[in-house]
Amino acid sequence: MKPSVAIICSDSITSLGINALLRDHFNADTTIITPAQQQMLASYAMSADFDFIMIDEAVLIQNLSYFLPYRNKLILLTNSALEHETDFHHLLRTASLDSIISSVSKIFKSASKATPKDNHLSTREIEVLKLVAEGKLNKEIAKELNISINTVLTHRKNITAKLGIKSVSGLSFYALMNGFVKP
Amino acid sequence: MLPIISSNTKLSQIIIDDPTILSVLSRFGILLGVGDMTIEHICQQKKMNVVFFTTILNTFRDPDFFPEKILYSFEAHLIVDYLKKTNQTYLQFQLPNIERHLHLLISKSDAQNSNLLIIMKFFSEVKAQLMKRIDDDKNRWFPEILALENSEGNKVESTVMAFDESNDSIEDKINDLISMFVVHLTGDYDINLGQAVLLALDSLKKDIAQNNRIRKRILMPLYQALASRQ
Repeated sequence: MKPSVAIICSDSITSLGINALLRDHFNADTTIITPAQQQMLASYAMSADFDFIMIDEAVLIQNLSYFLPYRNKLILLTNSALEHETDFHHLLRTASLDSIISSVSKIFKSASKATPKDNHLSTREIEVLKLVAEGKLNKEIAKELNISINTVLTHRKNITAKLGIKSVSGLSFYALMNGFVKP
Repeated sequence: MLPIISSNTKLSQIIIDDPTILSVLSRFGILLGVGDMTIEHICQQKKMNVVFFTTILNTFRDPDFFPEKILYSFEAHLIVDYLKKTNQTYLQFQLPNIERHLHLLISKSDAQNSNLLIIMKFFSEVKAQLMKRIDDDKNRWFPEILALENSEGNKVESTVMAFDESNDSIEDKINDLISMFVVHLTGDYDINLGQAVLLALDSLKKDIAQNNRIRKRILMPLYQALASRQ
């Protein structure tokens, strides 16, 4: 299956180069989100529907809190080798073409083993999950989201049904695995 | 559905039907190479209570088989002794086995797969909780039950007032760990080792579930009855 990739870089030349590489070598379904569009968070919201988000450091740093929940999908373009180990997929701009193609190929292969999308949580369920992971009680979650306790319980029931995870610890570790909360 | 195990059932057939029952058999000193011995023969050889042994095997094999009346008829020390051996199996075999496979899985998988490290942390939390419970059994609950059983009218201070509901969450957490492997595992990993961890977790889950049924439905009521007798 063709991987779908959003390309969100701070300069057009990089975006165009990545776009050509992904189309020529991987037959990828690519979409460039231009710097002008980056002004609108709604454009970023599109990125949630892509298999991958190719992004550079400048864009990531400016919008860290927005992109963090999608970190399993991120492919970060870096100017130098990362000093610390990270769980982001990353590509070194200065690497050889062969090396970049080999890295992208590996990243796309890993995606074929990724979680199917049918258990995706709604935006509200993610908000509830984040608060559960922070150790908040149902009463506190209801107050914070301005909803009733019954609604919180319904969200929690749906989260458990979708994920197959029931305990607070299990939900917290799931939230961590998927970047909904920081380590 | 598997037939109920009785005194004339062959041990070999029980193991062939469900090899995970070996963890229970090993608590009674029964290892592989059982020949054509029946339950009755092995109980005579090892001087074991046949009814107690078959009841334990049946409760392990079938969650719906839970003859409270029969289990209530056993002396508390028999059940405590079985649960002590069960705890020892967790400490000596099952937990180290899962841990060893998880370490191997992490070392042989893609270094960028941080999900495995998070799963390892979750397992460590479950392990710590189970070890705390085992420690409490060893140092507080089991000695108290045995003291109550042997009190002969002497006052024994009882400290456990109700079943600790957090025990259930060990079972929930193991189920969640299994879900994380089955549903949510992503990235590159060693397939054989991933399956080995999953099977080891499944075996522990089944064991913990039986253990919890015995603790909650038999040992706790027995304990409360012994405490109220004083």
